[in-house]
Amino acid sequence: MNPFKSHDVRILEVRELTPREKLFTLRFLDPEVEENFTFRPGQFVIVDVRGFGEFPISICSPPTRKPLQLCIRKAGRMTRFIHGMTEGDVVGIRGPYGNGFPVEKMEGSNLILVAGGLGMAPLRSILWYAIDTGRFEKTYLFYGTKSYEDILFKDEILYLLKHGEKLNCHVKLAYEVETPSCIYLERGFSEKVCRGVVTDLFRGEEFDVHNTYALICGPPIMYRFVIRELLNRGLSPGRIYMTLERRMRCGVGKCGHCIVGTSTSIKYVCRDGPVFNYWDALSTRGLI
Amino acid sequence: MRYVKLPSENLPEFFNRLKKLGKVYAPVQRGSTYSFEQVEYIDDVALHYTRTVLPPKKFFVRPRDPMFKLRGSRWEEVKDGEPSVIFGIHACDIHGLKILDRVYLGEPPDPYYKARREKAFIVGISCMPDEYCFCKSLGTDFAMDGFDLFLHELPDGWLVRVGSVRGHEVVWENEGLFEEVTDEDIRHFREFEDRRAKAFKRSLNREGLADILDLAFHSPVWKKYAEICLGCGNCNVVCPTCRCYEVCDKWINAYEAVRERRYDSCFMESHGLVAGGHNFRPTRLDRFRHRYYCKSYFGTEGFNCVGCGRCDEFCPARIEHVKVLDDVRGVSYEPV
Ligand SMILES: Cc1cc2nc3c(=O)[nH]c(=O)nc-3n(C[C@H](O)[C@H](O)[C@H](O)COP(=O)(O)OP(=O)(O)OC[C@H]3O[C@@H](n4cnc5c(N)ncnc54)[C@H](O)[C@@H]3O)c2cc1C
Ligand code: SF4
Ligand code: SF4
Ligand code: FES
Repeated sequence: MNPFKSHDVRILEVRELTPREKLFTLRFLDPEVEENFTFRPGQFVIVDVRGFGEFPISICSPPTRKPLQLCIRKAGRMTRFIHGMTEGDVVGIRGPYGNGFPVEKMEGSNLILVAGGLGMAPLRSILWYAIDTGRFEKTYLFYGTKSYEDILFKDEILYLLKHGEKLNCHVKLAYEVETPSCIYLERGFSEKVCRGVVTDLFRGEEFDVHNTYALICGPPIMYRFVIRELLNRGLSPGRIYMTLERRMRCGVGKCGHCIVGTSTSIKYVCRDGPVFNYWDALSTRGLI
Repeated sequence: MRYVKLPSENLPEFFNRLKKLGKVYAPVQRGSTYSFEQVEYIDDVALHYTRTVLPPKKFFVRPRDPMFKLRGSRWEEVKDGEPSVIFGIHACDIHGLKILDRVYLGEPPDPYYKARREKAFIVGISCMPDEYCFCKSLGTDFAMDGFDLFLHELPDGWLVRVGSVRGHEVVWENEGLFEEVTDEDIRHFREFEDRRAKAFKRSLNREGLADILDLAFHSPVWKKYAEICLGCGNCNVVCPTCRCYEVCDKWINAYEAVRERRYDSCFMESHGLVAGGHNFRPTRLDRFRHRYYCKSYFGTEGFNCVGCGRCDEFCPARIEHVKVLDDVRGVSYEPV
């Protein structure tokens, strides 16, 4: 078996989420692979656009729902190419890779999901996993976006703003750029939507730090502020998880691109991560 | 270990018979440097070479390595792994291969590397250190495994250590070429090893180095060297344990493409660059320091340097690996 060989997947649907991001719904051509493909929230796959190259993308659908979905931002050559593809086209996928979130360990606890921008994509997997399985106490989603237009999975977010409580899921949204749509949204959900950054959403929220896990995903600069907020509230470094990005080629610990750390601790983000907790970050230089 | 003796006069015949196992590659002299090349005659082999420019990793992790060919819209695996004999590997390079084995044969095994490695017959050879070698201080100056046969020079031939079943079979099949080891041979072997041990001019002090390096993250020494460093990446390419690779799809004609991997270097600016132009190691300083941290990793996977001295010999800026580490050690004692 060649671990670098991808499986064919057919694009079932392409949905434009924002001008930059598209949601790809995929099905493996081989029914056996389709049947047996399992993963945990937080894992990623490598997408293979034959003749153009490969790139890592987080799985953004929950393991409790089929088919598989990936949210891809147009960031360069290969992602631009896949943005040009349509229903019926075939690409390749290999994986799943990485460790994913420690779902078993977190069962029965509160989850605080903190998403910034595209960081919503991997967190959507655990969000719906939590809702579908009901295995967690209460789930919070704090989502910071640039503007109304940049909100990923807008319909789902609006739905959860309205009906989240019934699903034990508490959603809050922070936006930076004011537009009429935002003002309208803020008027409708004054408790839950505000202008500001994602850490502003913590204001007025109380949670039992001994029974809570925080999961963070967003741009590199976001981590520091969010982690500070969580530590100030007394959350232990072992309960703060984050998913990290690095340049990746192989996804399985061979190509060396994602290596971080120093003489006392070297980590491969693809294999030892991409999910790390804050203790890992404290003991591995260069992780965040 | 099993030991036999190969008398000098039988070496050419032994070398010829190795060709039955596959293409034979051995160090040959190219101007002032050495290189592993396919060799037909023992006379072409530089038996007393110091180090080749590219280490024997080039046979297993190739500088350019096609992985798949695109036929229609499907990838076809590029199969290879011809049987080969790598003749004349020094102990440090055998340790280098063992480090690569850990990476490439670890889960999931790399099929290209594995096929080549399994079909390679490894013959080690003893050596004398030059001014760049510091393998002794890393314990990589002697190999206890990772080879099929290892030849140790004697005044009238070679003391052969047999390191694998395959090595044993080859000795068995060529029984007529080998002799029993005598007490005198053992004495000569010991003398050679003593002389060799005394010939090392450089050593790396590993005492507490892991923590010292870690604490010296902000040491000005990194900056001092990063300013001289040209960022050429030579030290990565020639290192027997450096293995970063980049992957790229290349069109051969309108209908055919190959997916190829090739050596990458952590000294290149693109090494840590991701979407949105964010770079995890944006400066020369970040990249210089990263290489030293990667080479001097002390974890369960072990030290990533075997002390071969290549990075020193082939650095155009004359930066010396041991010297950098010693400098960092010195500085880190005083808080900076
Ligand atoms: C674990 C992980 C999960 C990810 N999840 C998502 C996701 O869910 N959605 C999403 O849109 N993006 C995700 N990314 C980022 C995505 O991989 C890059 O946007 C993509 O590789 C860019 O490819 P490109 O050919 O379009 O860009 P290129 O034209 O190759 O280059 C554009 C930029 O992307 C950088 N880049 C190239 N290759 C990689 C790589 N392998 N990893 C990171 N950056 C790279 C380049 O350095 C350059 O700065 C993830 C990355 C990682 C490591
Ligand atoms: S770091 Fe230098 S001395 Fe050490 S193995 Fe690599 S090339 Fe040889
Ligand atoms: S070979 Fe020397 S100059 Fe070139 S990148 Fe390495 S340390 Fe710098
Ligand atoms: S992506 Fe290749 S080693 Fe991690």
